[in-house]
Formats: sequence, structure tokens, C-alpha cells
Amino acid sequence: MISHEFIFNEKLSFEERCNRVFRYQAKNNSVLKTFFEVYGLSSESELNPAEIPLLPIRAFKEKSLLCGGLKPKLVFKSSGTSGMERSTHPIANPDIYKTSIKTEFYRHFPPDYYALACYMPGYRDNPDSSLIWMAKHLIDDNTDGLNTFLPEEPNEFEAWKERAEKKGKKILLFGAAFGLMDLAEDQRYHFPENTDILETGGMKTYRREMTKSELRGSLSEGFGIKSEKIHSEYGMCELLSQMYALSGKWFTSPHWVHVSVRHADQPAKLCSPGEEGKIGIIDLANLHSCSFILTEDRGVMNQSGEFKVLGRWHPENRRGCNFLIDQEM
Amino acid sequence: MVSLENHIKRVSDAIEHWLRPDNYLLKEAIDRTVNEGLFSFPDLKHRILTLKKSLRKNHLERWARISGLIPGSMNGKRVLCLHAGNLPLVGIQDLLAVLLTGGTYSGKMSRKDPYLLPTLIKSLYKYDLIENADWSTKLESLSGFKSDAVLFAGSKQSAEKVNEKLHSLNLAGSSTPRLMRTAHFSIAYIRDNQPETMENLTEAVFRYGGTGCRSVAVVVAPFFLNSQKCSFTDYVEAFWMKNPQHQKPSDSLFHRFAYNKGVGIEQAWLNDFLIEENVEKPIDHFILYWVKGGAKELEEIIKRYRDGLQSVYTTGELVGEDFRGYISEPLEEAQNPPIWWKPDGIDTIQWLQKQVDK
Repeated sequence: MISHEFIFNEKLSFEERCNRVFRYQAKNNSVLKTFFEVYGLSSESELNPAEIPLLPIRAFKEKSLLCGGLKPKLVFKSSGTSGMERSTHPIANPDIYKTSIKTEFYRHFPPDYYALACYMPGYRDNPDSSLIWMAKHLIDDNTDGLNTFLPEEPNEFEAWKERAEKKGKKILLFGAAFGLMDLAEDQRYHFPENTDILETGGMKTYRREMTKSELRGSLSEGFGIKSEKIHSEYGMCELLSQMYALSGKWFTSPHWVHVSVRHADQPAKLCSPGEEGKIGIIDLANLHSCSFILTEDRGVMNQSGEFKVLGRWHPENRRGCNFLIDQEM
Repeated sequence: MVSLENHIKRVSDAIEHWLRPDNYLLKEAIDRTVNEGLFSFPDLKHRILTLKKSLRKNHLERWARISGLIPGSMNGKRVLCLHAGNLPLVGIQDLLAVLLTGGTYSGKMSRKDPYLLPTLIKSLYKYDLIENADWSTKLESLSGFKSDAVLFAGSKQSAEKVNEKLHSLNLAGSSTPRLMRTAHFSIAYIRDNQPETMENLTEAVFRYGGTGCRSVAVVVAPFFLNSQKCSFTDYVEAFWMKNPQHQKPSDSLFHRFAYNKGVGIEQAWLNDFLIEENVEKPIDHFILYWVKGGAKELEEIIKRYRDGLQSVYTTGELVGEDFRGYISEPLEEAQNPPIWWKPDGIDTIQWLQKQVDK
């Protein structure tokens, strides 16, 4: 198995690391090998990262994307309501995920400052959830034993709050967005004003889709916490890296991830800053599966390469007359 | 009051006058449409020829019978028709429905097709069949003419935008009845690969570049795509020789081809079109989904994608059979529908008359 340390080695340029991953996957991942071959690319090709074709994310629903000869030690599956196809992400080396989680999560939320309370009720029903695995890892990795899933009994929660306070730690409440919305309505839990909240999307199962600013407004009001204390995570089972947006600002990526926004009709073409398109991700932490992914999320990028997630990409009906009425109006 | 028979005869005479080869206004409109690249000449020719057949007097009479037309039932009430579409003369059925029911027509012409329909309106004027018709390519120009009903094709996403605009221009109130059609694709269920079937299938899929709600986006056939790929491609190439593809797909189609290859989906790449042995909600342009199967698979697809499905076409003795609420139509009529066909299953004349009764 190829060693993974180079992925996190900042001394190497992203381009160099990316090309190593490209060569490895173009040779060892049969789906990517064939996909790249259609574009005339092979494991010998040397490319600028932006030139590498991105594989539509639905491939995780159709095929095992594990590189040849490897056996998965873990398998992550996306959540999904009945009838929905679920993405499957086989993981050959969980250590990569651990390093990715800790490096980026702790960069934004240092363990010395925060006591973590994870609230992921819907996800707990999914034993293959990458989010639950991440939460468990952050809990297990914690030396003072404070990190926890949110206690089910409010009394226990109060006792935990006291322990955190005694250790001089602020609370970081981490969970899927709409689970947090429900928690905000639950009057039994009272969070101190200086609590930070980290929401991680998860809108699929909720009643309706909301914009990030609507969501932040609702969480702020519901928990009685200032909106600058509400942060967002962008992650999914298909990625072994997460991106964070603090206080409602733009998302930034770890140094081993490259995010771009692509024209929906021309996936090879990058959108200009401010122009909406599909979010494309090169995640080098996906070393043994697929690092080159075109998501179905709608996004926009600023001049600094930071991005916003605007929701799902809703293609207009291009076949019938339906979308034409919009142009006519 | 003019009798139904006389009314239909006058409409038919006006249409005949409009479609005469020496109607230079129509000829000029066709030339302009082609020269400006709005539609291809073969598609326009096909459309005019099919209208010549479908708008005959006896066909108008049959439509009137089927829909229970009562002459003058709309009694001059104003009906706003928003014409938008992928095929030339889209919405001509709406114009005729308004006219036959005695409504006052207001039309927002499609910017993609601004020349053809006005030539029919001019012929109808000549025959005193339209009074005070208001039409424009700009909705703003119709501002203030409050409508009693609105006809258009749209999507759930576009409905709100349309309503806001109609309201802001004082064209319709919140309670004005609206007939919005949302279907955007059709299915063909074939059971043989005889030349006639394959030629009709080719026409049903590729006419108007595969766009339009009556165009076939999904084929259910008893064969795997792989076994038919070569022969079907021959039919398509023959069709394209006579009807070159007017619009070209974006790069995303090639990206999809590369993806399919990667994940092992059987497919046929035709440069300007992709046929894949797979099925998903037909949203994208220039893609034909091929499904090996029979009636069971057809019904499963209808069940899954009925939101958006316009018609189910079959051949031979299967025509007229009910597939989960869809009465199958002849495959050869996919791009030649009779004038009484019901977009989204609703007869426009019946719908208009019902609104008056309310």
C-alpha cells in the first residue's frame, strides 16, 4: 500500500502531492482509470490540478471506488430515506481519516479550549455514518474525557456542563443542522451564552431546505446564542476531509484539499469568482478511493478561493418547455 | 349566434388560407425563423406539414365533439396564453382553444419563435375570427389587460416567478385560474425492431433535437442496447442526414459519456446525443435512456417518474392500452399529435369551459 504521509506534508506543493495521487489512482482505480482514458489521460500524465477531470459524485452510489488489491477496513454509507440510493465509501486506511479529522478540526476548534458535545440523533441510526465515526474519534481521542455525545438526561448534561466549566472549557455543540434545530426547541437543555455551535448540513431528512443564513438565524434565536458563535462544517461520506466556515464566513479548505466551482454545462471550466456552479473537490485524503469529485452541490467562490455552499444543484428541466418560461419572463 | 358548424368552418378556412403555399407572410416568417437560427428548416417543414394534417376541418370538428365544445362559451373572456417552448408554433392548440370557445386571446409570443404564430393571427383577423387580440413578445406590452384565465407550460419552480410577474403587471389576480402544464418527456414501449418501428422510434426521439414534452426520452424494449446499437445508429444517421441536429450538446454530455464508461454503463455515443442503458429522471437534454424489459418494467418506470411524464407510445395492438393511467398512443404520432391531444392529460377546451361555469 502506498504510504500516505506525503498527503499531509505541507513542504510539498499541492500540485506535486496531487499528481502523485492522480498517478496512483489512474493506475490502481479501475473506474478512474477508464474515466481518465476517455479524456486521453493515463497514470503517466502530468497535470495542473485544475485540469484533472472530476468524477461525478454519484459514482459512489454505483461502484466500489477502492483502489485495486486493497481491502476496506471501514465502509461509510450516506444516510438516506427509504428508496434513496446510498453512497458507499470503502476506507482502506482509517489512519488517514483520523489525521485529516484531527488536523483540520483542531486547527479551528483546539481541544484545549473546547469541551465537545455531539448531537446526532438521526445519524446514530446509521452505523456506517462517517459523521458518527468522526464524532466517536473526537470523543475517544480526548485526553480529559470531557468530549461526549450529548447526555440524554438533562441532569447528566448539567453535571457535564459543570465539569467543563471547572476545567475552563467552553462548550462546542456539534451536530447535523436539523437535529440542532430540534434541540433548540427542547426546553430541557440550556446552553451557556458562550457556547459555540458547529452545524454540519444534514438537511436531507428535514421538512424543507433552508439557506445557511436562515439556518444560522434559527439556531441563534433558538439557542439564544450570538450568530457569530455559529459555525458550519462541509463534509460528506464521500470525503475524508472536512471544510469549515467560522461565524458565517466563507468555507476554507485544509492544505490537502482543493475546492473549485465548475460550470454545470462545462465541468472542465472553472467559474469566475461570484459565479454559481457545481462544487468540485480534490481531496487527497481519499487516497485509496477517488480524490477527484464533482459534487451535486451549488456553490460560489470568492477571489481568495474560499467558497459558499448554496444548496443542492437543481437542474432545470431542459427537455420540455418548463424551463423556457423562466427565460421568457 | 353563429352555429358551431359555421364557426369551425370559418376557423378552418382561415387556417387553410394561412397554410396556402402562396401565403408570403408565412413564407417570410419561416425564412426569418431559419435565418435567425431559431429553428432548423427541416423541423419547421415537419411542423407545418403536420399542422396541415391535424388542423383539417373534420379534425377540428372531432376535437369539438370530444371536448363538448359549446360555441361562445367563453363569451369574450380574456385568456392569456404564455407561449414558450422548444418546437416551432408551440401553443397553437391554446390559441385555437381560446378562439373556438369564443374567448378573447392575449398572447405572449415566445422570444424563440416570434414570427410564425402572428401570421396565423393575421389570417384569423382577416376572417373576423379574432377581435381585439393583443400579442407581443414582451409581457410588459400586455400590461393592464387583466385576464380571466392563463394557459402556459411551466415547472413548480417557475410557477411562483410567473405568478409574481402576472400580478405585478396586473395581468392576473391571485384567484385567476391557471392551467400550468409540467410534463417534459415521453416513453416509448416497443416490442420489435422492424424497420417501421425503428424509424418511428428515431423520429419520436430525435425530432426537434429530442426536446419537447412529446419527444421520447425513455425506450423500453425487449433487447439490450448492445444488440441494437449498430442498427439503431444507422436509423439515426439516416434521420440526421435529412434533419441535421440544430442544437449541439454542451461538454457535460461528453463528461457523462466518460463517467458511464468509467462505471461500466452500456451506452452509444452519437457525438450529438447519448443513448445509455440506464434510467433516471429524464431531465437532461440529448440523452435517451434505454431499458431492456416489457410491460412490468414500463409500469415501474411510469410509477417512478410519472411526475413529468407526458405520453406513453406503443405499436400495434398495444395502442390504446392503459399503463398505470396512461392510455398508450401510437408511436408514429409522437411528433404528429392530433389536435385533440391533451397536454398533461387535460383537454384545454374543457378546462376553459369549466372555468367559465365556476
